[in-house]
Amino acid sequence: MTLLHPTFIRRQLATTRSQSLIFVLCVALSMVTLVALRGFGDSVDRALTRDARALIGADVVVQSNFAFDPAVDSAVEAIAARGAAETARTWEFYSVVRRPGEDGSLLSNLKVVDAGWPFYGTVELASGAALRAVLAPGRVIVEQALLDRLGVQVGDALRIGDATLTIADVITFEPDRPTTFFSLGPRVLVDGGDLAALNLVNPGSRVTYRWLLKAADPAAVDDLADEVRTVADRDFVRIDTFRTARTGVERFFTNFLFFLSLVGIFTLMLAGIGIQSSLTAFLRERHGTIAVAKTLGASSRFVTVNFYIVVLLLGAIGALLGILLGFVLQWTLPALLSGFLPPDIELTISTRAVVESALLGLVVVLLFTFLPLYRLEGLRPSFIFRKEEPPIVNRLPFALTLLLILGLFTGLVIWQLGDVRTALWFAGGALVLLLIAALLTEAALQLLKRWDVRWLPGRQALRGLFRPRNGTRAIVITLSTALGVLFCIFVIEQNLRASFVQSYPPDAPNVFFLDIQPDQQEAFAATLGMEADYVPAVRAALMAVNGAEPRRNPEGEDRGNGGEGGPEGGDGRRSPQYTLTYRAALAEGEMLVRGDSLFGDAETVNPVSVLQETADARGIDLGDVLSFNIQGVPLDATVTSIRKQDAGSVQPFFGFVFAPDVLTAAPQTIFTGVRVAPDEIAALQNRMVAAFPNVTVIDVTATIAQFASVVQRITQVVRFFSAFSILAGLLIVISSVYATRLARVQEAAYYKVLGATGGWVTAVFALENVLLGLLSAALALLMAQVAAWAIMTWLFELEYRFLPDASVAMIAITIAAVMLVGMVASIGILRSRPINFLRLQTENE
Amino acid sequence: MPAILSAEQITKSYVIGDRQIAVLDDVSFDVQPGEFVVIMGSSGSGKSTLLSVLSGLDQPSRGRIRIDGVDVTDWSEDRLAPIRNSTFGFVFQSFHLVPSLNALENVAFPAELRGDKDARTRARTLLERVGLGGRTTNFPHQLSGGEKQRVAICRALVNDPKIIFADEPTGNLDSKNGAGIIDLLIQLHRERQTTLVLVTHAPEVAEHAGRVITLADGKVVGDEYREENANGQRSTVN
Repeated sequence: MTLLHPTFIRRQLATTRSQSLIFVLCVALSMVTLVALRGFGDSVDRALTRDARALIGADVVVQSNFAFDPAVDSAVEAIAARGAAETARTWEFYSVVRRPGEDGSLLSNLKVVDAGWPFYGTVELASGAALRAVLAPGRVIVEQALLDRLGVQVGDALRIGDATLTIADVITFEPDRPTTFFSLGPRVLVDGGDLAALNLVNPGSRVTYRWLLKAADPAAVDDLADEVRTVADRDFVRIDTFRTARTGVERFFTNFLFFLSLVGIFTLMLAGIGIQSSLTAFLRERHGTIAVAKTLGASSRFVTVNFYIVVLLLGAIGALLGILLGFVLQWTLPALLSGFLPPDIELTISTRAVVESALLGLVVVLLFTFLPLYRLEGLRPSFIFRKEEPPIVNRLPFALTLLLILGLFTGLVIWQLGDVRTALWFAGGALVLLLIAALLTEAALQLLKRWDVRWLPGRQALRGLFRPRNGTRAIVITLSTALGVLFCIFVIEQNLRASFVQSYPPDAPNVFFLDIQPDQQEAFAATLGMEADYVPAVRAALMAVNGAEPRRNPEGEDRGNGGEGGPEGGDGRRSPQYTLTYRAALAEGEMLVRGDSLFGDAETVNPVSVLQETADARGIDLGDVLSFNIQGVPLDATVTSIRKQDAGSVQPFFGFVFAPDVLTAAPQTIFTGVRVAPDEIAALQNRMVAAFPNVTVIDVTATIAQFASVVQRITQVVRFFSAFSILAGLLIVISSVYATRLARVQEAAYYKVLGATGGWVTAVFALENVLLGLLSAALALLMAQVAAWAIMTWLFELEYRFLPDASVAMIAITIAAVMLVGMVASIGILRSRPINFLRLQTENE
Repeated sequence: MPAILSAEQITKSYVIGDRQIAVLDDVSFDVQPGEFVVIMGSSGSGKSTLLSVLSGLDQPSRGRIRIDGVDVTDWSEDRLAPIRNSTFGFVFQSFHLVPSLNALENVAFPAELRGDKDARTRARTLLERVGLGGRTTNFPHQLSGGEKQRVAICRALVNDPKIIFADEPTGNLDSKNGAGIIDLLIQLHRERQTTLVLVTHAPEVAEHAGRVITLADGKVVGDEYREENANGQRSTVN
């Protein structure tokens, strides 16, 4: 017997277009975000690889947060002397710059550079001139933001530290600082020859020191790096080549695109439900054909094979559409991510991306169509002719099929994420989420089923949810999961915003002064003229815990601890860097978790109290001996207590607090914070910086606002991607309306025959959609609020806000969207005259 | 007495492809209140179409339909709705019960639609009257064909309509159940003096009617009034 019947296949493709269209759209939807992200990720990778040298401005970069040991300087100078590399130094730090003789000062990100910087990439200036034609001793180049905020222009003087320099040009692009992701202040480029005149780089100052090397022989890059490594103290100096350096841009994109991929897979999963749902409806519409074909002697294999071809052809159209839309979406991403992107990113469609996307489409179609097609095997004509639901006769193959689908789905997630552990967690989490949504949906539907509504339109609308083949379950599960995730992200974002931005305690300091030298403290306090706590800060590396290397903590501690808090990435061999402090008692908002007192008994040598998060991250316990390296001086300390600090506290978090006498003599800077009326901040800043040019002033409210805007932009992108998953839910609503079209036409006809007006029937259908939207939104709200509460309470340990207005808005928008989609799909049904249905029924008798 | 239902020169035709097919051709007759009229004819004679046109479910291509002397031919669906709800009752061959409602709810539905507070009580009484007092909570798929049709009859009666339209009410039933349904319809027609317009192709059903209108190829080819003798048998009087 022939297995393939081209005419049969062609006819199936040509008829009943609505469900095939939804099927095609669901397949496209399942792929679109992943295709876009994959292509975009490739483009970002290519840009980063292409610009790897430009991103660090050199072949080798030697970097430290402390002044280099003379041995390092000698090693680099020796390399330069023998002509193996060109070298240049840079110093990067924050400082407040001023308009000389006038009010107006601004925290700026200074970069003092030797001639030669950058060895790779080009600094672009507004004038179009070359960097070195402009930057010379006595001149600075600044970002436009500085001109705007200080009200100065090119040619004006600028007071930086002890020097007065002339603004010579405006910087428009800096190759090793390509993003405006987050910065405390605008860039100011200063010539290396002015460094001493600034008088801003002092012991203990927060400066990033760099040596940049451009190898004479490109093959010798690694050797040069190794040569410097042999003399450098790896705990304080980090050495990278352009190949090993993971820049902030790269880290940001790796993490962000990875997260968006998770969102993409989530969309794929929900669209997968749409694929199953629409295919089931599509095949049901063909039950008559299948019954006749089987009655005329067609084998189950014939039916299954031919429908597989139909589904694969439709799937191919969907996959093609998905790939096309994915590439279109890819082109919109630069606009969404403007400011975060590497420069000159070239978006291309690689053969690899097309092949991988097509493969993804094939896997998606096979994965999510298997079950509905598998069910065709057991379909007997008698059930179809009698209009009965065929029973599931053999549950074992069904269960095995489900297991296979789960396995394939997990494989798909692993393939897309490229990280088995995360993929397994994600797949497991996503399935648990779906399971929870399914259980909640089932429970809610059971309750609704028992609800004896006496109001007639309400009762009929409610009953409509339970009409056979109504996709109520699929719709509610899909929509509630998609909305739940989306709303959860929104609630958390708003909660974080509320905790950090809106609820900044009214009495907490809003201006901080960093890098006060100990000998300046008295004069500083007198100039400040208001009461303030002066906190010493000592920078150090934690070398060992009980003689062993401290536990590595790739994720870092959850919160800042007053210092750099952990290795800066890259080689992963550096000892974690901390900022230590000393004081006699617990600070406000702190409490002891372990230990009788902060510093134990008087006999303990060098007692230290450890913050709970730091202790957990590094595997530190009471009584442990910690070995620190304080800028070259070793110090062993004994843990006398473990402290906890209120998460909402605005006090600085210190991982390690020593008793005063231990660190008094250590090289240190001092910082303090005061509360000032917002309109007085600028004047205070000007006054203090004029008197103490080396002191860094941070306006916390402005910083937090900038941070919040970055967070908001990122969550907007996440929301944009998550919105695709909601489309899956809405497509299932349309699929469900079409799948139950006959039943709905029947209901509408009966209502009208029994005396209902068209308006009444419309009201019942509208109400049914309202119930569907309400149920989905309510379950989404429940899941989102519980998850957000758990995350805020247990992960962030912050106050949780319910956001009633947003919750009501989410429910209203969901109801409106479901009703709009459902009613538009029902227009034909509502317009139909009852006689048409009755006549059709009579013909079918 | 004025006619409760009048058909005046009713013509109904359909266009199928490029052909126009006439289903009813110049059909005219009046129905008096309380009459039991059977419309007979072979399959395709146009009898079901005539019932649809008479009951306002379908509109004639030409001609007028009057209910209690009021011309309703051009009335919109919504204007006809209260007439369908309270003046008419429908019984169909395929029962057409709302699948999502149980027997009691199906019967009560037209009364509830009218806003009748006693809808459920009336429905229950009717169901008990037809012997379905114990099946009120059963859904249509849980009922036999005969039971479904009895529920449909109760539903047709719940608003005390003036006219009941029954389209092949025994068509989907076995002969025993079919006979039971006809007996029930006749009993209820007599008890309530409701006008009954019934379409059938079965002569044994027509034997119970007071008037038999016969259709052939869309035309009225016979209109006989019948009289019941002392034995309950009917014979033609005109």
